[in-house]
Amino acid sequence: MTGKAYIRTENLRKVYNSGKPDEMTALQNVSVEIDRGLMTVLKGPSGSGKTSLLSTIGCMSRPTEGRVLVDGKDVVKLPERFLTDIRRKKFGFIFQQFHLIRNLSVLDNILLPLYPTDIKPVEMKKRALAILNKLAIAGKEKLLVKNLSGGEQQRVAIARALINDPHVIIADEPTAHLDKKLAAEFMQILAGLCHEGRTVVIATHDPFIYGHSLVGKTIALRDGQLEKEL
Amino acid sequence: MIKHLKIIDYAITSLFRRKYKSMAIITAFTVVVAALASILLFSGSLKREAAYVLGSAPDLIIQRIVGGRHDLIPLDYAEKILKIPGIGEVNPRYWGYYYDPLTEANYTVQGTDGNAETLQLLEGRLPAGNTECAVGAGVAEIKKTGTGGELILVNSRNTGVLYEVVGVFSADSSLLTNDLIILPNETVIDFFGYPPGKATDVAVQVYNKHELQTVATKVKKLLPDSRPITKTELVRTYEMVFNWRSGMMLSVFSAALIAFCILAWDKATGISADEKQEIGILKAIGWDTSEVLALKFWEGLILSLTSFLLGTIAGFIHVFIFHSFFLAPVIKGWSVVFPDFHLTPYLDPYLVFTLGSLTIIPYVASTVIPAWKTAITDPDTIMRG
Repeated sequence: MTGKAYIRTENLRKVYNSGKPDEMTALQNVSVEIDRGLMTVLKGPSGSGKTSLLSTIGCMSRPTEGRVLVDGKDVVKLPERFLTDIRRKKFGFIFQQFHLIRNLSVLDNILLPLYPTDIKPVEMKKRALAILNKLAIAGKEKLLVKNLSGGEQQRVAIARALINDPHVIIADEPTAHLDKKLAAEFMQILAGLCHEGRTVVIATHDPFIYGHSLVGKTIALRDGQLEKEL
Repeated sequence: MIKHLKIIDYAITSLFRRKYKSMAIITAFTVVVAALASILLFSGSLKREAAYVLGSAPDLIIQRIVGGRHDLIPLDYAEKILKIPGIGEVNPRYWGYYYDPLTEANYTVQGTDGNAETLQLLEGRLPAGNTECAVGAGVAEIKKTGTGGELILVNSRNTGVLYEVVGVFSADSSLLTNDLIILPNETVIDFFGYPPGKATDVAVQVYNKHELQTVATKVKKLLPDSRPITKTELVRTYEMVFNWRSGMMLSVFSAALIAFCILAWDKATGISADEKQEIGILKAIGWDTSEVLALKFWEGLILSLTSFLLGTIAGFIHVFIFHSFFLAPVIKGWSVVFPDFHLTPYLDPYLVFTLGSLTIIPYVASTVIPAWKTAITDPDTIMRG
């Protein structure tokens, strides 16, 4: 284990519907390291356990067995409110379907993570507009998300992930709905975030991403197990 | 504080975002609350008016019963009753009902000895001469008369008698005076053709109000053909009538209540996929379970409070401005033969609290409970559906 690791998993096992007829083991004995300030890709075919691993290290679900260490602290047994705090302060999520609230404005979607905080609305808006500028979608803050193109929606999703100034950006199949040009733009944005010192973790089966020169580390999964780590 | 204001702001935004659904819920909820409020306000006001009437009623009314029916009472009964210890005052009363076929209404014709202290005259004075009368507002309205006007009634000899209206009553309770025609005692005796030495009943005032039942028993023992009616019995009878009527109306509206309960149950047992998804998103991006519940609480409270206020105002307007045009025929019942009377507007704080508790709390609970069931689940599980 190196000291660079920001997130580390040890012998992770994740079982869905445990004890039921449709029980399914998504992860089996997975130990990986996500390095600080690096772009790490989790690759593998559908059903290989990428999303399960991503949601486990992102504190969105608990493993059935094993440990997850975030910044050196085991988070598996932490009460829910601490996991929420970690999600709020340390992680920014970009989901495969973007998971934006479609009939809410761009600005409100971006501000969502800041609503349950004591940050003043004026400060919230200032932050959001700065990020919108950075992502080249300034001027669209009042539009409803459902009226945006796929590429614009993804930028809104990225903006929402960045509004809390997180240490780690977690993206699940981020290019699944994008053409090659938009996918390239997306990678450039993520590269910029890495340059700022943020850690980026992407789960994908898109060869364009895991073959990209900006990727610092690739973790290959198959059938819920670690296949190789490059 | 800022955090909670922002959550409330987001709750309002969410309700506007689902404006058609929100409006549909508010409309249905408002109708239910308005129906409930109308029933409770109506029966509550009737009870209040009845209590007012009974407040000025004598402690004891003594009637004479012949063949199981109310008959005129001999005046010497009053003298005998006066000799019972504890009795302060005994007054023979002369009154009767008068049916007017022209207006198809029943009036109460009551005699006065010039002293009607419980009744407030809106204008004019009490009748003094045998051609004068004072009338309630309902009578004045239906007979299109007023102070200085005339009133023609047909007496027991089938002869039309012209009275000059010298006063119109305005009591705090229109229930008390609405159908009332006041004539001097002698005029009432003549009008109804009552035999000399007899009255309709006898009003008795008792010094010690706790002794009412004892005095009533003594009267019954002294005069076996009498029926003493205590004020307590009158109050109980009125309350039973009004409770029964409002209870009946509540039964009628139980269909609406059941529909509303089904809606609430439906909400309590599950939330839509979109709502679940939204809760999952909020949790994933850093909302705590308590913050999600606060959001749902405010959503439920804003919706139900809005509906409650609108429904209560609608109920108030229905009962006190539009005179309960939906409810009146059923709940008033006997008013079809009375001149129509209007209730005095009154909003009982206890009633408002009861109505609020019965509507807001169940709705908020039915919003928060299913959200809680979702919010305690891992965001990953929620978003996977």
